[in-house]
Amino acid sequence: MHTQFFGNFLLNKGVITPEQLIDALKVQAYAHKKFGTLAIHSGYMSASEVEDVYITQTHFDKHFGELATELGYLSADQVDELLDTQLPDYMLLGQILVEQKIITRIEFENLIAEYQSAYEIYDLDLIDEQKDMVEKLLANFYLPEDAPYSQNILSYLTLFFNNLVRFIGEDFTPLNIIVLPEVPTNFCVSQDVEGSFSFLSALDMEPETAVAFASRYMNEELTEMDEYVRASMEDFLNLHNGLFSVNMSNDFSMELHLHPPVINEHTTLATESPSYLLPIIYSFGTINFIFSVKMSASLEDIPAAGESDTQGADGPESGSDRSEAAPEETPDRSEAAPEETPDRSEAALEEMPD
Amino acid sequence: MENVKILICDDSILARKQLKDIILSYGYTDFIEASNGQEAIELYKEHKPDLAFLDIVMPIKDGVEAIKEIRAFDPKAYIIIVSSVGTQTQLKNAILEGAKDFVQKPYVDSAITEILKRRFEGR
Repeated sequence: MHTQFFGNFLLNKGVITPEQLIDALKVQAYAHKKFGTLAIHSGYMSASEVEDVYITQTHFDKHFGELATELGYLSADQVDELLDTQLPDYMLLGQILVEQKIITRIEFENLIAEYQSAYEIYDLDLIDEQKDMVEKLLANFYLPEDAPYSQNILSYLTLFFNNLVRFIGEDFTPLNIIVLPEVPTNFCVSQDVEGSFSFLSALDMEPETAVAFASRYMNEELTEMDEYVRASMEDFLNLHNGLFSVNMSNDFSMELHLHPPVINEHTTLATESPSYLLPIIYSFGTINFIFSVKMSASLEDIPAAGESDTQGADGPESGSDRSEAAPEETPDRSEAAPEETPDRSEAALEEMPD
Repeated sequence: MENVKILICDDSILARKQLKDIILSYGYTDFIEASNGQEAIELYKEHKPDLAFLDIVMPIKDGVEAIKEIRAFDPKAYIIIVSSVGTQTQLKNAILEGAKDFVQKPYVDSAITEILKRRFEGR
């Protein structure tokens, strides 16, 4: 996971112009991942080794993997492994910029390294004991009807614990997840997120706990419930959902639409499907994180994270009408996943020569 | 320091305060605050600020729609998006509507001061 979209990182650095980014995103929808990009992403080959294989390929009519093995850059096992590896879409974006000669392959390799060191967040950057606790908690807890989204839910909750550590503190103890048909609230902020993975998320706590939570979030001592306390809870939730949407876009070209956070004080959260309630104990009180998947999207539209084929990315145009975003916006994804096998061959990977 | 007007639009009072604090410590003091896109458009027309910071996810009218209307009124408007939803589509839409930059939240102070320098240095 990352804290910024790779394209925005390149833009902020001044490596590419806005026009170049928009052009590359247009191409990305139809681009095919190349074996060389997979090899760089896996860390098995350096950019110059990949370059060497591409140059050698101009003299011999052989597949990338075959040549890389002959040249001693990859083992046969590594080639097999790479053929089954997913490529996050931001790597595909980089590949396109190389193909368009906007950056060199070596620059791409360096930029990825810089991007990862500055913006990558590692899954559960917690102390060991706590990491075990959270991992146990997250393992296989989802409801049967949520199974198609299980990978998305896992990524989402992992990011949530990461954000708790980053913005509130790591001194928490998570309790077991409770499944509820409806959730009565105390002081609660909720946010709807729509797309091919739609859900409601909420933070609920006692007002005194909210004051302490906000003090941590703002890094400032607050004493009573006021607009800054409300804003802190809204900000935290919005930041968390925003970062999740950035990652879904960065890795899977999945666009999610966030609604503004809303306050639900002393009411019952109306959810279409059961909610997960995650109680998390801090020294200053217990915060409840609530999460409920919406089943409005049809199953074929689910770009299950970690399982989708990078070649079935959404068109960059597709998300422009965000209000009715998800179900219609992934015309090729529903076909891409089950029928990805023909493209899995190395020939398909390399069908767009340099 | 020459006096310049800066519009800050975010539905979160906290986000507005954080942005204001950074800009204040940099030396600019003249702010106009809006809490949704519609307010931003109206206040922009009234005050014609030298720089505008807009969030995207806001009630009534979102930031990207606000850029469009502000730029229709003033094609030279200097607008920066500061948002947590820096996705492919949001970034692309913001650029196409004419945003000069897109700052991903959470940001470091220097991301904002760099923008102030770029906008006002040598003016």
